[in-house]
Amino acid sequence: MPVVLTSLDNETFTVDKEVAERSILIKNMIEDVGETDAPIPLPNVSSSVLKKVIEYCEYHRNDPVQVQDETDDPRKRSNDIEEWDMKFMQVDQEMLFEIILAANYLDIKPLLDVGCKTVANMIKGKTPEEIRKLFNIVNDFTPEEEAQIRKENEWAEDR
Amino acid sequence: MSSSKSMVSAPPPHGSDINATWSFLEQGIDQIMNRLEDGLTYTRYMEIYTVIYNYCTTKAAADGLSNSIQTRGATLGGSDLYSHLIRYFQKHLEVIRKDSEKFMDVSLLEYYTKQWVKFTQAATYVHHLFTYLNRHWVKREIDEGRKTVHDVGTLALVSWKDSLFSHVERHVMAAVLQLIERQRNGESVETSLLRNVVESFVSLGLDENDSKKTTLEVYRQYFEKPFVSATEVYYKMESEKFLSENSVTEYMKKAEARLAEEESRVQMYLHASTNKPLIQTCETVLVKGHTEIIWDEFQNLLNQDKQEDLYRMFSLLLRIPEGLDPLRARFEAHVRKAGLSAIEKIADESTETLEPKVYVDALLEVHKKYNDLVQTAFRGEAGFVASLDKACREFVNRNKICKSSTSKSPEQLARYCDSLLRKSSKNPEENDLEEILNSIMTVFKYVEDKDVFQKFYSKMLAKRLVNDTSASEDAEAGMISRLKEACGFEYTSKLQRMFTDMGLSKELNDQFRDKMSQNHDASENAVDFSILVLGTASWPLQAPTTSFNLPDEVVKTYERFQAFYQDKHSGRKLNWLFHLSKADLKTNYIKANKTGYAFQTSTYQMGILLQYNNGLSYTLEELQTQTNLNLDTLSGALGILVKARVLLLENGTNVGDAGTRYDLNMDFKSKKIRVNLNLPLKAEQKAETEETHKTIEEDRKLLMQAAIVRIMKTRKVMKHQALMSEVITQLQTRFKPRVPDIKKCIDVLLDKEYIERVEGQKDMFSYVA
Repeated sequence: MPVVLTSLDNETFTVDKEVAERSILIKNMIEDVGETDAPIPLPNVSSSVLKKVIEYCEYHRNDPVQVQDETDDPRKRSNDIEEWDMKFMQVDQEMLFEIILAANYLDIKPLLDVGCKTVANMIKGKTPEEIRKLFNIVNDFTPEEEAQIRKENEWAEDR
Repeated sequence: MSSSKSMVSAPPPHGSDINATWSFLEQGIDQIMNRLEDGLTYTRYMEIYTVIYNYCTTKAAADGLSNSIQTRGATLGGSDLYSHLIRYFQKHLEVIRKDSEKFMDVSLLEYYTKQWVKFTQAATYVHHLFTYLNRHWVKREIDEGRKTVHDVGTLALVSWKDSLFSHVERHVMAAVLQLIERQRNGESVETSLLRNVVESFVSLGLDENDSKKTTLEVYRQYFEKPFVSATEVYYKMESEKFLSENSVTEYMKKAEARLAEEESRVQMYLHASTNKPLIQTCETVLVKGHTEIIWDEFQNLLNQDKQEDLYRMFSLLLRIPEGLDPLRARFEAHVRKAGLSAIEKIADESTETLEPKVYVDALLEVHKKYNDLVQTAFRGEAGFVASLDKACREFVNRNKICKSSTSKSPEQLARYCDSLLRKSSKNPEENDLEEILNSIMTVFKYVEDKDVFQKFYSKMLAKRLVNDTSASEDAEAGMISRLKEACGFEYTSKLQRMFTDMGLSKELNDQFRDKMSQNHDASENAVDFSILVLGTASWPLQAPTTSFNLPDEVVKTYERFQAFYQDKHSGRKLNWLFHLSKADLKTNYIKANKTGYAFQTSTYQMGILLQYNNGLSYTLEELQTQTNLNLDTLSGALGILVKARVLLLENGTNVGDAGTRYDLNMDFKSKKIRVNLNLPLKAEQKAETEETHKTIEEDRKLLMQAAIVRIMKTRKVMKHQALMSEVITQLQTRFKPRVPDIKKCIDVLLDKEYIERVEGQKDMFSYVA
């Protein structure tokens, strides 16, 4: 049975149930409330982002359910992104952050992980100044605060 | 990461206002907790979820901004939401608790379980809706070790336990116990109520240290404990009352049914872990509490052969430790008595002329009956098997027929074997024989004096082989292999050796016959000669008691064989056992019968009859001189010849009297062409039995002495008592040595200076090398 999803801007998307249920939020809800043909409103996701998310879910529709195990830690490594996912994430920064937010909201852990890894790869090997520039961040630290942080994190620096 | 300050997008309207957020959420949760049956739309669901999501994300962003950078990482918003939720659950459950006071007994159970089902279902919704809180704020709190924070689903259960369960648990349990009692009394009750109560108690067992795990503590303490002790009280009363009004057999049926009922109760609505304490309690109350009276019924059931009731008693008592012990002892006594009285019955009928078959069958019948009982009613339980064995050993070795001597049973058993293995018209079919031999082994297993059996068996086997009366070589071999299996190689080695000798003799005869036909003309080999050469050590054969002059007709053959054998095996000595030999004679003097009769005779009878080739009448004295037989043997042999009217007694009244004269009967008549004159003498048989028993005593003395020497040789010095017990251990597979006999043997060995007393030490012997 297909599921109808409605985006923030009232666009509807009809997808297979198994695709929609990549989102734990939707999965739990269907489990609790039961199946109806009513559309599911997703008030936090815009249609352009939802389209991307659905694309991801379609591609990964048959993936085994990820077991939440924190000790087994492939998620913490940022260099094991699948090729398809890597391509999928080649979007502008705005979209990347929107996807991450949507994944967080919809509770799609693998997508959230891929998104965060992608951001991590962007940061990797850059100086604070470069990072500020990349993400358009204004430095709001006082020089004393900055010195303090540098000192505390000296051990982690790549030399 | 979601709280990294610059990555959070703009908050939705009213996102971080707790009051606005909660008042919105409270309505939603209320709807779920109280009116879920009205349904919940996807839209409503998503609204609630989104409000929580927005609150948590914007709150975190706001907190993040206000926090100093030194508090490491981000703070995740949610504690306000969480405390509102706690208060909500408390209030909600308070209402239910108040409401519950209106109910009692079954209606309370109905109310409790209804609320429980409703609450847990709603709690699942709430848990899911608060996923975002669970994933972030709750997770963080738990990671930081706050024991009082749980995920929302667990929080719901904890609230139920604290705000409702702890207040109503007593009333609920009282109602549960009452309902179960009504069910035990035969009423039909709504078991789903009980199952739901159990499920609720089990679910409330939360592990303080890990909310993902559950323990059974709550169920054990609040449900299982009172339930088990109520069970105990109930069955204590019931069983006492029932027993005062009914028979023990009826009671056992009741107890069996009750135990089955309780086992199915566990399946029906209790937690599986209750099975053990519940059944143990029932066993204690229903069985252990009444063992005495159950035990006392055992003898009656045995006497009446009530197998079904016996099995019931067995399986009930099997449940409790040491429940069967007294039964085993009583069973043993009962079987022994049955065995003894069975033997007494046949002993009364015929004491001396008792057929071995009757005796052995009587033993077997008792064994079979109680072996069957052990297998069916007692399920072949090892303890009862042991009791049966002990009882059988007793009545097989010590009964009326055995009287004082335990050697009667093995003798009878060996005779029975002989009657089966000897050629006879009554030989059983091969399959039946197998079965009978197996059952003989059953009795044999119990026989203590296995050496006596061995003696008699080898005697009778020797006779079967020498007289060529063995019915089947396969059957003989089968029996020997059975004995070998039961007693080991040594026990049957002599028996096996006897078969070897038989085979060797056959070859020897062939070789001798070949040699004779090479060396002599046919006319010189007129006597058809055949011989068995048997090793003295293996064959229980006695030397002849009389001297004997071999008649001229066969002397030559005798000498030739003697020479042939000496040539083959120089140094071996041949003892000729004429008393065991036999001859076939052909008559040519009787006119009435042209073909002539064939007389089957003993060698001694041959010696007598061949004299009549030279004359027709001899006196006793003449015959004695010519044959050189002693008087007893001669008159015995003559007696049969006279009785068969081959010889006619003249000049006297009794065979063997001095001066009697014996004429050859020229008009001898017989219906048969072959006339068997080689008949055993009754007196001889009896003497032989006595002789055998006597040799057993002699052999035992030697065995005991040998054992003592063997032991002393290895131990060098030994206490009297220790020596005794070791001798008994070594010999008991053959026979049960008696203490006075061992003492006598020790005395003999002291005399012969194999051992000596150790000076200054009482009862101590040492080996003399």
